[in-house]
Amino acid sequence: MLNHSYLLKDLDILKQHLAKFYSMVQIEKDANGEERWTDQSDPDTVGLFGHKHLPSTSPKGFLFAEKEALYKFDGETFESITPQVVPKVLFGVQACDLTAIAYQDKFFKQDPYYQKRRENILLVGIDCESPCTNGFCAEVKAGPHVNDNTADLVVSRLTVNGSNQLAEWLVIAETEKGQNSIKGLPLDKAHKAHFILRNRLLDKMRSEFADYSYINNAIEYLNDNAVPQHLWEEMSVRCLSCSGCTNLCPTCSCYSTYEIAEKQPDNVISETKAVKTETLRVWDSCLFEGFQREASGHNPAQQAAQRVERFWFHKFSDEYLTEFQRYGCVGCGRCEQTCPGTIGVHSVMKRINQECCS
Amino acid sequence: MVQNLVNSICPFCGVGCGIGLVATDNNIISVHPLNKHPISQGKLCAKGWNTAFGISRHGRLTHPLMKIDGKFREVSWQQALSHIAKSLKKFISESGPQSVGVISSARATNEDNYAAQKFARAVLKTNNIDHCARICHSPSVAGLKKTLGSGAMTNSIDDVGKADVIFVIGADPTENHAIIGGQIMQAKLSGATLIVVDPRQTRLAKVADLHLQLNIGTNIALLNGLLNIIFNHNWQNEDFINQRCEGFSELKAHVAEYTLDKVAKITGVKGEDLVKAAKLYSQANASFLAYGMGITQFVSGTNNVIAVSNLALICGQIGREGTGINPLRGQNNVQGACDMGCLPNVYPDYQSAMDQKVREKFTQAWGTEVANFPGLTSLGMSHQAKDGHFKGLLIFGEDPVVTDPDRNKVAESFKVMDLLVVIELSMTETAKMADIVLPAASFAEKQGTFTNCERRVQLINKAVNPPGEAKIDWQILKELAKEMGVPELMDWKDSEEVFHEMTQLTHSFSGISYAGLQQNNGLQWPCNEEHPNGSRCLHAKTFPIGKGKLIPVDHAPTDEVPDSEYPFWFTTQRLHFHYGCGSMTRKSPLLERETPDGLLFMHPQDALDLGLKNHQGVAVSSRRGCVETRVEISDQVSPGLLSMPYHFKEAPSNLLTNNAMDPGTEMPELKVCAVKLVPLPENQPPRSSELSDVGIGEQYA
Repeated sequence: MLNHSYLLKDLDILKQHLAKFYSMVQIEKDANGEERWTDQSDPDTVGLFGHKHLPSTSPKGFLFAEKEALYKFDGETFESITPQVVPKVLFGVQACDLTAIAYQDKFFKQDPYYQKRRENILLVGIDCESPCTNGFCAEVKAGPHVNDNTADLVVSRLTVNGSNQLAEWLVIAETEKGQNSIKGLPLDKAHKAHFILRNRLLDKMRSEFADYSYINNAIEYLNDNAVPQHLWEEMSVRCLSCSGCTNLCPTCSCYSTYEIAEKQPDNVISETKAVKTETLRVWDSCLFEGFQREASGHNPAQQAAQRVERFWFHKFSDEYLTEFQRYGCVGCGRCEQTCPGTIGVHSVMKRINQECCS
Repeated sequence: MVQNLVNSICPFCGVGCGIGLVATDNNIISVHPLNKHPISQGKLCAKGWNTAFGISRHGRLTHPLMKIDGKFREVSWQQALSHIAKSLKKFISESGPQSVGVISSARATNEDNYAAQKFARAVLKTNNIDHCARICHSPSVAGLKKTLGSGAMTNSIDDVGKADVIFVIGADPTENHAIIGGQIMQAKLSGATLIVVDPRQTRLAKVADLHLQLNIGTNIALLNGLLNIIFNHNWQNEDFINQRCEGFSELKAHVAEYTLDKVAKITGVKGEDLVKAAKLYSQANASFLAYGMGITQFVSGTNNVIAVSNLALICGQIGREGTGINPLRGQNNVQGACDMGCLPNVYPDYQSAMDQKVREKFTQAWGTEVANFPGLTSLGMSHQAKDGHFKGLLIFGEDPVVTDPDRNKVAESFKVMDLLVVIELSMTETAKMADIVLPAASFAEKQGTFTNCERRVQLINKAVNPPGEAKIDWQILKELAKEMGVPELMDWKDSEEVFHEMTQLTHSFSGISYAGLQQNNGLQWPCNEEHPNGSRCLHAKTFPIGKGKLIPVDHAPTDEVPDSEYPFWFTTQRLHFHYGCGSMTRKSPLLERETPDGLLFMHPQDALDLGLKNHQGVAVSSRRGCVETRVEISDQVSPGLLSMPYHFKEAPSNLLTNNAMDPGTEMPELKVCAVKLVPLPENQPPRSSELSDVGIGEQYA
């Protein structure tokens, strides 16, 4: 790692350099104060970095599109629709979201639509410097520093309280793509001391997290099947099946396909009559009652309690460790904010912990 | 493809959540929640999350259509508008301006609605202007006008979190106003006491501390009963009554006959629960009362609202944070459509159309004589059409054939009109019946303002261009005014100019500008010299009419009650996943999938008695019509009560509903009628009641 690590005075130098080769995607704040991942951002715009600015919507949609056409049928032949992509750099992705992208990379390994986008994206990660609202990445090993092999480049601020001890920024090229992306930039090599400082800052930050031990306790109860049925039922009354948690969850990957026929209504006389269909996919949600309903009408998860339980099982079950080498939850806490029924991750894990402890 | 992000306001219910529209290639592909929005704070309901489907290019109207020989053909805007203008002029010259009218849309912007009532009053010279508030909160506007002087939600949505007791009567907020419903559940978790009064076991009823599951149509008996309990225990707020109310002794004497036993008998609610509810509501520091269609959609709608108002006034649960009388409005801009004067009896800001001074003011401001005779409600226009006195109607973004009571009668009246023009996003059941259909721009295709149920005027912004030749409602009216020969009356260059004209003619909105709305994330009216930052809470010191009026009202039976021929009670409801006539939400494959197989909710005991299996087909009939659907066995309803959502054109509950009306407001009794039920053979699918592509066939000719 040391071989591919550099020092940087001003992050803007790196950004301007990358902007020559990639379309810039970074976090911007709009007129209403809303922070979000902004496509085709002007590289001269000062982006927002780090823990203070985790947008409510993760960058998931840049890889796994919220709605996209898969193929079309003109009455005779099928034709795949390949996503139109340009090389993009996602500049300043937080550790939790990078961990989620690495998770999705596994899930969508065989998915040409995802992969086409993925190949054209350069991920520049950033180490967070303090805990964010609702975030508990440290508890689920997703942050606060960028995990190894989840970004092409990682930037980490080495200044403490504004004082410049060794250098402003440490830049680590984690992949060949990352290494290539900074070719031609005159950068000094980093030393062991810089990594020691980075680790020291990490240790200090870990101690700043609130006590989230209820989360790991609840994970144990979940895996022991110790959560009583009545608790799932109580909590599921509060699930409105809005789909907010699954839409915002950076690791949720379920989708549905549907077909639209491009045909004028029969009561309109018009020149064009040919029937063409297009098949699209959209993000789906396992909290919808219809998600698992079978053609016969039978539904293995008809009760809201079964669906709510399944959702949390998918986020925290040991059963998925073999496939993904980690839990499905990356500790971003977005579901806590978006859930109208107050059954986001903190609320649920606290209740499980309380119920099972008592 | 580049993603553009534009902030706007959700186009569904009256909560007014913030949504970020994600557009690529001139299409909205998805929406994002907005963390900084003062109401939704990063949350959305299933409808909101699925907004993109509702306005997608697919299935949208893109050209004006004219029905020629029973088929719609594409025509130019010029052809369509010139035909409409000629016809309207002919009707007016032959039969007078009473023979034409406009139904505006609670889904459209304030600017569109201001333009619609101005077009009616200044161009057509008629007060025949109405919209769907007629069938949702017209009794709130009328009832609260009488008792307080203003018909809007008195408090703000986030007052839910400041209340000690939350009293929800005749409303199902987790399904219909989900973000408010969520805030109520959150408040309950944080320690507030929740009382739900509803004949159905709603989601909120399941989490409530107290569910008063009253017999349908017995609201006044229950509310009067609570008052009598309060008086008997001396739980009323004497100071508030002395300083702020009049009519106390009459009311007290009046409700004395609503004894505990009598009320328990009428309502079916246990006496001890009534006492508990009366104590909790009256004795709390702050009690927040919210209500919905379960109060208004009755022949006693206005009296129901008055009874609600009596309870809040007697307990002094109004004029402070965390209290209030809070009607939950159904549409994104039904508050605004009322505020803009799309009602036959009032100009913008509720200035009376019967007041000579008001008419002079608008004559002066608009530079033309305005209508000088009383206007008709939407149902009034329908009735007059059947008698041959009403000839031409413009309908903006409403689907009365699906949403209004007694569909057969509604459809018949449209059939006999000489000209029906429907301005819509897609080919709805009502549009199928039109002579001319004009393509409208959706909320994501225009700028303007919506006013939510807490009186917050909020900006919506254009994210994509309208499809094909679709235009914005106020632009269509501007073009039509030109065609009618009065281009100068509606010659606006953009929506901001329309809004500005409105603020110059109203008091409540005089302090609002687009810039101010942008800066403040919306402003709550009244916003003017006295309230430059808007008004979170109304009636803190006084009511618009001075003292609050306590008005005695009596329990009266519903227009229909079950009998031997029609033995079941029948009521209507909404589903979390669908909205109104379903023309937008049903375009989402995800929401469509959530539609239950059975649309007639029935208690397990009734199903057992009738030998019905879950999802078996049934024919349900009332005195007005018959509809086939499947049963959904559910303990949400009590035995003897059947319930049906109204979103589905294949099984329109409004073939059954009763159009008996609340006398003052012409609010039909949508919430209750009597029906009978015949099971279909076990494997026979229900027949669809959807209209054919060109509307109603020969049976109504």
